[in-house]
Amino acid sequence: MPIERRSLQILANHCGAAADAMAFALMRTAHSAFVKETEDFSCTLVTPEGEAFASPRQFGAPWYSGINYGPVLEMIGAYEPGDICITNDPYSGNVATHTPDIHIWKPVFHDGQIVCFVVGHIHNTDVGGAVPASLSRSLTEIEQEGIRVPPLKLVSQGRLNEDVLRIIKLNVRAPEQNWGDLKAQIASVNIGERKVHEIIARFGVATFSAGIREMLDYAEEQARAVLRGIPDGEYFFADFADEDGEGGVPCRVALTLRIQGGAVELDYTGSDPQVASSLNMPTGGRERHPLALVGLTYVLYTLNNDLLMNAGTLRAARAIMPEGTLLNAVAPAAVGMRSLTCMLTQIVTFGAFSLALPDRMPATSPGGNSIMNLRTAGWDGRPVMASIGPVGGGGGGTPVSDGPNGAGGAQAFLKNTPVEISEAEVPVLFRRYGLWRDSAGAGRYRGGLSAVMEFQVFAPDTVVTARNRNRSVFSSWGVLGGRAGTLSHFIRNPGTPQEVSLGNTDILRCEPGDVVRVVGAGAGGYGDPFTRDPRLVADDIRQGFVSPERAREDYGVALRDGVVDEDATRALRAAPGRAARTAHFDVGTARAAFEAVWSEERYALLTEFLMAQPIRWRHHFKRRFFAAVAEGQGAELRLAAQMQQIGSALLQSAGLPAAR
Amino acid sequence: MGWRVGVDVGGSFTDFAALDEADGRLVTLKVFSRPDAPGAEIEQGLGLLASQHGVAPQDVAYFTHGTTVGINTVIQRSGVRLALFTTAGFEDVLEMARLKMQRYHNLYARRPEPLIPRDRVFGIEERIRADGSVPMPVCRDSLLAAQRAARAAGAEGIVLAFLHGWRSDVNERAAEAILLEADPALPVFRASGIWPIIREYERTITACISGYVQPRVAHYLDRFEATLARLGVPAAPRITRSNGGVMGVRQAKAECVQMVLSGTASGVIGAGFIARECGFPKLLTLDIGGTSADLAVLTDGEAQYGTGEVIGDFQIHIPSVSVTSIGQGGGSIASVDDFGVLQVGPRSAGSSPGPACYGKGGTEPTITDAVAVLGLIGHSELGYSAVRLDVAAARAAVGRLATKLGTGTEETAASILDLSISAMYADASGLISRFGLDAREYSLLAFGGAGPMLACFLARELNMAGVVVPPTPGVLSALGGLVADLRSDFIRTIYATLQLGAEAPLQEALAAMRRDATTWLVDEQGFAGTPVLTLSAEMRYRGQSFEVDTPLDPAWVEAGDIDALRAAFDAEHERLYGHADAEEAVQVVTLRLVIAGETPKPQLRRIAEATGQPAPQATVQAFLEGAWQPVPLYARDALRAGHTFLGPAIVAQPDSTTCIPAGFAVAVDGFGNLIITPQAR
Repeated sequence: MPIERRSLQILANHCGAAADAMAFALMRTAHSAFVKETEDFSCTLVTPEGEAFASPRQFGAPWYSGINYGPVLEMIGAYEPGDICITNDPYSGNVATHTPDIHIWKPVFHDGQIVCFVVGHIHNTDVGGAVPASLSRSLTEIEQEGIRVPPLKLVSQGRLNEDVLRIIKLNVRAPEQNWGDLKAQIASVNIGERKVHEIIARFGVATFSAGIREMLDYAEEQARAVLRGIPDGEYFFADFADEDGEGGVPCRVALTLRIQGGAVELDYTGSDPQVASSLNMPTGGRERHPLALVGLTYVLYTLNNDLLMNAGTLRAARAIMPEGTLLNAVAPAAVGMRSLTCMLTQIVTFGAFSLALPDRMPATSPGGNSIMNLRTAGWDGRPVMASIGPVGGGGGGTPVSDGPNGAGGAQAFLKNTPVEISEAEVPVLFRRYGLWRDSAGAGRYRGGLSAVMEFQVFAPDTVVTARNRNRSVFSSWGVLGGRAGTLSHFIRNPGTPQEVSLGNTDILRCEPGDVVRVVGAGAGGYGDPFTRDPRLVADDIRQGFVSPERAREDYGVALRDGVVDEDATRALRAAPGRAARTAHFDVGTARAAFEAVWSEERYALLTEFLMAQPIRWRHHFKRRFFAAVAEGQGAELRLAAQMQQIGSALLQSAGLPAAR
Repeated sequence: MGWRVGVDVGGSFTDFAALDEADGRLVTLKVFSRPDAPGAEIEQGLGLLASQHGVAPQDVAYFTHGTTVGINTVIQRSGVRLALFTTAGFEDVLEMARLKMQRYHNLYARRPEPLIPRDRVFGIEERIRADGSVPMPVCRDSLLAAQRAARAAGAEGIVLAFLHGWRSDVNERAAEAILLEADPALPVFRASGIWPIIREYERTITACISGYVQPRVAHYLDRFEATLARLGVPAAPRITRSNGGVMGVRQAKAECVQMVLSGTASGVIGAGFIARECGFPKLLTLDIGGTSADLAVLTDGEAQYGTGEVIGDFQIHIPSVSVTSIGQGGGSIASVDDFGVLQVGPRSAGSSPGPACYGKGGTEPTITDAVAVLGLIGHSELGYSAVRLDVAAARAAVGRLATKLGTGTEETAASILDLSISAMYADASGLISRFGLDAREYSLLAFGGAGPMLACFLARELNMAGVVVPPTPGVLSALGGLVADLRSDFIRTIYATLQLGAEAPLQEALAAMRRDATTWLVDEQGFAGTPVLTLSAEMRYRGQSFEVDTPLDPAWVEAGDIDALRAAFDAEHERLYGHADAEEAVQVVTLRLVIAGETPKPQLRRIAEATGQPAPQATVQAFLEGAWQPVPLYARDALRAGHTFLGPAIVAQPDSTTCIPAGFAVAVDGFGNLIITPQAR
């Protein structure tokens, strides 16, 4: 039976069910904790050209629904039935984006023709390299991040290539676990292949082949319709990671968003050069690389909850990522922690769309969710490790409601770890796990409160890691009068004479008895807090979310006996001297101070200079620039002259030609 | 000898099944539920049983009852005002839940409002550690101050849920005593006493739901008892439970949470009874009503059990018959989006206003309306005269979509049906994948008002062995209550590594559970027969975040045979996931004991043997395979054992309509079940 437009959803349901079946097979048989706990995997059906047309409807990483496998599909010469291919190399086709993500794909043949591919990845716990689990911000070259398998046939016409397997197993820390995961992936694509054959038996091959293209077209039309509802124009926004590496300087992602007649361009020109840490994204500059468009996917889905999410969704989009920058790093740049940078691309996307659609876009969630891990000795003295959960901020305030507390926005997909499980697993005593009062950015609708976790450790040489930590320097912004949220904190022995604030560190060695407190960054608010219904403020005070002091200060609301004091509130809100905020964003004091020096103009000059230099010099020069500006070199000059002077001196000292 | 009566109050209808103990005759009926006047439907139904079938109230010797009053209390958020006392430092447990949200691609996604707002949550100075040691006993002053504050905030009950209450209840018990001494009128609900599992959020929310529904359900049960007394029913009623068993009213009033999911559970139990009596070893049950479509697995008539079933905005962690939702039932609304693509759901017309063809104010086209347009239902009265289908209204509703799509009303209805089946297919195939079943070995046992209407279409998509439609598919929940056993679950959380020395705590836990279980069954429920005990343990490899429920022989625990326990877990893990790890340490998280006391079962009556071929009652027009065509309509009560006929066909009966498309053959078995199988193509 031919699929008519009106019945397209029928085929979409069957294809979604096939992807679900792949995901269930994976979850049932995989060994990695990542699969079961954080669902860091994908299972996808892609067209013969590599465009994703179906993904699991409720599971898996939320980043890959629009992935295009085309670049790696082409890297295999000829496919035969029964082949299964593999790669985890971020620099071969840019489908894998860091080494622990092992991707495999299998062609589905019908009457001698490839009708689609079934594909997927698992984040493996370890793939070897310099550090256990293969990921660390401090790594500087891809070679340090573990074994890399170029695109090749792991299974050839049904026969496993044992040699490849032996090489992989020899280079990783827990080979049986990787092999277990790989078997799960093979089972998953085999199920996917069988399901596709069932769909073809049900609908016919012609209907299937035409239908999957129609599904992509449908998603494209849906996305374009959403985009047509957004005013044409150019919208610029940038945001920063606190550090571009350990002890580094701020790391910037800049986005110029261009909306034109149902199409969208995300121009990341002006973002920092690639860095000598593992924050780089290996996108190959591909214009629809999923990592560059995660934020866009969120925006489109938020604006139309009926969106069929596949590669068609992204057809209306084009990303521009100049080579040798953070968003398009070239080998041998390390890429392990690209998730932190990807989160920034999402945040700037939300910011730019907020400019385009101020009445419909919420403020952002802060990002920088610390993934907390504890490595210590068990009660029996054996080393034990436990993932004790994410600690982050809430969701940003929205045009109609407060942001959710503890998690939200683009960070709503992670589960926490019960305190009781952590305490039963490892010697740790929690003193607190909950919400941090006054952390939310004030607003007509406030941001969500951030989470706080405080615990005591007992064994010597206990190591606490807070992977992905950020926002200890720069706040998460508020919009339209809404305020920025508070900063994140990582504190050892809070409230004691031994208290140490750990800044933006993401790793801490503890002494027995140490107490560690981690507080996430607060999310920004939406709209002028002085227009918030005072009863909502009173309710926040009653709930313990806002202190009476902040209520007066930030909201101009006074309470008497637990209820709003109308007269006092009117007086507070009418008090002179409160400058009306006209800026679209409140980025917080630290960023405002930083940008007073590192203005848009200065960044433009820096970018122009760096982009003219060899890629491997860029990060070095960037840091030297920051040091020179901080030292006040050429401070007496006008901005352009100062930057030129610093640049010339740098080139000279490096022995590079002045004019390039 | 007398009558056994089962009554199940659902969202739309209340179902009655009555069994004559003398000759095994089963009579059934349905009346509209009366959420406005709970209890009125029982009076009406018993009246009809008496007038139509001669079931005199004083002859009712056994009475079971299930009701949605508990689940409605949660869904409508109409429970009591509670306060929650937690360990100090962990007061945000309800607000944060497990963090993860549904539909997390939506930047507006929110968690549901907590059942108890943060200003009625109070931290108490106390602490227990994971090993059960008590570094800080409960602080009396902190407790009494919280109680005063809770009372001032208008709390009508207090939930106690301290950290590690799964391991030790000493602090919760001490707190309960102090609170009740200070104010005996303010009820206290102890999380450690309700279902003491590890994981603080799950245990806390379960206790909160329990306290939340308590007074409403208890009040309802008071009135229910009074109604029965006034009508002169002599039997002491039994209440159906989420775990598929029954319990006495006194316990039901004290542990209301145990009955919140009894409606879905009873249906599966009724199906299990049919499966055992009639010999269907591998079934999926399909229960479709006006507002829900649920699937469950029955192996040799045995349901699967689990915890974490969804109720309203929350999951509740008490032992329940496992069912998986595969949609929103016959009331799901169809629409056309801006791109000319048809969608069904997620909105539902529910039971009010209901489908357009019910004539109760609904105007939007639903799945039921599509089926009515196609001529597959509406040939007899639905729900025992409760509803007369208005096909014209259905045509009008579906016709509006047809205009938008630029196609015919019938074509549109056919597309709605196909689309709803494909959506159910997608969810059902998830369940099948999750449990690793081979659908070709399973038949679909259809019940609920709309189950038999849609079952063949779904079975065809899933490539199943066939469909079974029991004699009274519309009232299977009521029958399930009638046949349910006395059943209760006991749990001890152990959380220990399985190694030498672990046998003592396991033995102690088993002995204690045995005592509790026997007390429950013999002393409290008055059971005189031989109890059936089933032991299992939730175990996992160290480092895993989920447990596998592993059946155990109590003798292994009693003999301290650690190796046997370990082997049982490895085997179960291998069976479920395809691999086991003999090297990795194994943890026993919980030990569970189920006690069941079998209640007398009815003998299903065999129906009369066929002589010759069945005669259709009429030939009706139905729109199938793209054209109107004549289709034979059979009256269910005219079918006899041994009758066979081919699809397309329609079988009508008062509580349901069975649709059999072309390509299926029907055989009537000795019990009157329709055995529908796909014909070889």
